Amino acid sequence: MLLASDARRRRKSLLVGLATVLGSAVAQGQAPPLAPAASTAAKTLAPPVMVPPKLVGDPTVPYPEGAAGDASVVLTLTIDKEGVVESAKADVAQEPFSSRAERAALAFRFEPATRDGTKVAVRIRMVLDFHPPRPPEPPPPPEPAKTAPAKPAPRSEAVEEVQVRGARGEPSRTATLSRAEVRQIPGTFGDPFRAIEIMPGVTPIVSGLPFFFVRGAPPGNVGYYLDGVRVPYLFHVGAGPSVVHPGLIDRVDLYSGGYPARYGRYSGGIVAGETLPQSTKLRGEYNVRAFDAGALVEAPFAGGKGNVLLGGRYSYTAAILTLLSSATILDYWDYQARVAYDLGRDDRLSVFAFGAYDFLGEKTATETLTLFGTEFHRVDARFDHKLGNEGAIRTAVTLGIDRTRLQNDRFLRDRLLGTRTELTYRLGKVATLRAGADVQMDRYDIELNGGDLSPSNANIANAFPSRTDLALGARADLVLAIAPTFDLTPGVRVDLFTSDGQSALGVDPRLQSRVKAGSRVQLLSALGLAHQPPSFVIPVPGFQPGGLRGGLQKALQESFGVEVDLGGNTTVTATVFHNAFFDMSDALSVTTPQVNGCPPGAFPADTIAGDPGRQPTGNGSRCSPRFPSGQVGPDRSGGGGQASQTTGDTQNARAFETRASGSAYGFELFLKRKLTSRIGGFVSYTLSRSTRTANNATFIASFDRTHVLNAAVAFDLGRNWRAGARGTFYTGLPKAPDPTNPAATRLDPFYKVDLRLEKRWQLNQRFWISAVAEWVNVTFNKESIGTNCTLNGCVEQKVGPVTIPSIGVEGGF
Amino acid sequence: MRSMKRTFGAATVLALAVACGGGGSSAPAAVPTCDAACQDAIAIRALRETLKLAFNLTLQGKPVGRHDETVACPLGGSVHVVGEATSNPAQGATNVDLVYELQGCTYTLKDDDPKQTYSMSLVGNVEQKGVIAVQPTSTTALGFRSGSVSFKGSVYNPSIAYEQAACAVVLQQDGNKLSGTLCGRTGTVDL
Repeated sequence: MLLASDARRRRKSLLVGLATVLGSAVAQGQAPPLAPAASTAAKTLAPPVMVPPKLVGDPTVPYPEGAAGDASVVLTLTIDKEGVVESAKADVAQEPFSSRAERAALAFRFEPATRDGTKVAVRIRMVLDFHPPRPPEPPPPPEPAKTAPAKPAPRSEAVEEVQVRGARGEPSRTATLSRAEVRQIPGTFGDPFRAIEIMPGVTPIVSGLPFFFVRGAPPGNVGYYLDGVRVPYLFHVGAGPSVVHPGLIDRVDLYSGGYPARYGRYSGGIVAGETLPQSTKLRGEYNVRAFDAGALVEAPFAGGKGNVLLGGRYSYTAAILTLLSSATILDYWDYQARVAYDLGRDDRLSVFAFGAYDFLGEKTATETLTLFGTEFHRVDARFDHKLGNEGAIRTAVTLGIDRTRLQNDRFLRDRLLGTRTELTYRLGKVATLRAGADVQMDRYDIELNGGDLSPSNANIANAFPSRTDLALGARADLVLAIAPTFDLTPGVRVDLFTSDGQSALGVDPRLQSRVKAGSRVQLLSALGLAHQPPSFVIPVPGFQPGGLRGGLQKALQESFGVEVDLGGNTTVTATVFHNAFFDMSDALSVTTPQVNGCPPGAFPADTIAGDPGRQPTGNGSRCSPRFPSGQVGPDRSGGGGQASQTTGDTQNARAFETRASGSAYGFELFLKRKLTSRIGGFVSYTLSRSTRTANNATFIASFDRTHVLNAAVAFDLGRNWRAGARGTFYTGLPKAPDPTNPAATRLDPFYKVDLRLEKRWQLNQRFWISAVAEWVNVTFNKESIGTNCTLNGCVEQKVGPVTIPSIGVEGGF
Repeated sequence: MRSMKRTFGAATVLALAVACGGGGSSAPAAVPTCDAACQDAIAIRALRETLKLAFNLTLQGKPVGRHDETVACPLGGSVHVVGEATSNPAQGATNVDLVYELQGCTYTLKDDDPKQTYSMSLVGNVEQKGVIAVQPTSTTALGFRSGSVSFKGSVYNPSIAYEQAACAVVLQQDGNKLSGTLCGRTGTVDL
């Protein structure tokens, strides 16, 4: 049989089933040749010699992640006289397998069919068999007595194959990790979104805190999307997990720059999560950990036409914290619900609702203070329509609400309504059009009670008026397979923003390319312009400055990389990048991150009384044994606690109103051997430099870290035991002049080690359970975030150790 | 987890900056009442802290000598500060002889301590004479005097309406202790 060798490989790799062409018989006996010449030949006396098309190359199709069970998809392929598949159509819709099979079949190549030696177009039928690589984790090495001859090799190998073959990402996309791999990375708690922190180009603000600089762009310039729906944040408060149950996530992509035209309105980077396609079988997952519990279940209905999914997570951190610190309250939960129904062969209607809640509070003798409370909710109703074999179109309407509560009854609320249309359409054999348009309206209701704020903070609060913002966008790009070894994707997106009576237009051209240099080497490049309205420093729901004051932020992003398949499930990607920023509202980088000041006994002359921290503004040269002769000193009566104008207020206000330009350039290296291998791991290294120019001065960005290194190794210890270790190291933050240590230009570097140990039990063919012990920062290292100077001298300001031990149970079916 | 909280706080510094004006918002349970003397004491505090704010926003850091400065108050109104300020760097002290013209200057403070919570609008002229110390080598010794100051606003939490028609105020500050008379009624406040 044509695919016998593939079947052998399938058993070895446990991948998907392989295609079995029923076609020869079908093509000869059933499917009529399309060419007129073939019809004519049927009328001749001598029976024609019909040679069916022969598949060339490897027709392996990845098993859809998140799907369950075996499936066989019967395809009808139309193959032209050159052996190119013109169309592929599943006889019966059987999602997600039929779509995956149709897409894959379009890339198949055949030796042309012939009739009496003449090439002819034919229509054949082909069966693609899918076999699941479940469970995703490797079982114990099979004992000889129990090993069935046809039993596949370790399932982890299957996952590897799926990823390798399935990976054909955008050139601008930083390496993507599957959830099976993420599960093996210590310190991520199995959370795909947590894997962002190990990606090259990503610089943490503080270890454990889910806010990142991406290639020099601050957290407020990084957009978060889930299935194309914008979400305000991805992580629960503090060092919490992501706001979406990991069992729902298919993959998480990080676009560090030059991203596809589909993504815009953010000038720093895009984190895009995609949910798993609908499963055709009942499946579920659960986990119980020291600080939260979650579950997810998915089930088909109406004979497979419909599908419903429910998931969520609840934290009982508050109860635990009560034992440790009776004054602190930390609480969070999230939920997800999805219903989908196939209206016909080509039409699907689905609704996806999800949301999250977070609360950080402090108990006092008489009340509970809200330090920080956020929540968001989204409902996304979608209609998907297939355009034959050539493409698909999605029309969706999104409703949502974001809300943040702060102290003293202050709150921000954003009610949003949006609609979008997304089209993917194949234009011939070499071009695929990807286009879309969307409109989003955000109604902001904001109450910051500015009356009791200091003048500077009141100015900041005034930047957040209640109003209605509107954003309209259109985009298109063309994926051009100019040659088998050369892809080019030109694109453009146009966005019109209106806010509080102001409007601005952003036009973002994009260009990506991929050149194959041999069978194992690819050259990837991405170039793009990105516009974004003024943003707040970190993603906080509703904290969106109004009025477009200062105009749009702009970033020119460019990168060039080489990706090499080293074999043995090992790949390495080396990338150089450069970003140029204009009109950035990056308050974090223009605010001195550490307090600098005066040597012992000196007095910070520019300190304003009432500043609780008694902190000088950061210029050591202003230190004096006493306040300078000839100047009026401050009134410090009563010390701090007064809501007057403080040094910190002044700094914050100045930084918030400052527009900066800047640049970031660097080198990224990502070496990975599949973490699901018996011995897997990765090394992620970033060497970079980020600067800002503001107020006629150019300086190193406040959160610039020269070296960022993440390295992990995961072992299969046998008998379903897996262990992993991960090390993190990065350079300390830039240090402002310190009179007590003039030679130091940076704070101390930081490193930590995370560990993970898992034991899994395969209860039967379907059910599995595992116990997982994980510990973030077993080295108990503290991290320097600044220098605190007082009249008694300077001391390094450290946080932590942020160390999180976790023991939990996970399971699924 | 406490350190985690601190870490989170570090990153959300600006987010919370706009909320750093004081304490909580919910209605406190079983709050004791604030009598007339308590209310006067809060009013005295409001006057002193308003003058302190005006001083720090106008004169602090300026060259010694005679000054004539006006600054807007956070909730409306303004303060006109006129007079002379000299310094003694050796002792870390500033000698002041100033007049504050309060023109409906409104200032608010919220605090966990209801006795340090107020919102007050002030009208009138207040003289300030003495020494403002900024280092332990010296002690603040200030006198405040006014023939006519009016108060209107609220004090305490939950708030109590407070209004005092124009009257005389005489206060003396020694260190952080402030005492004197408000409209003939005595009052003492620890700043």
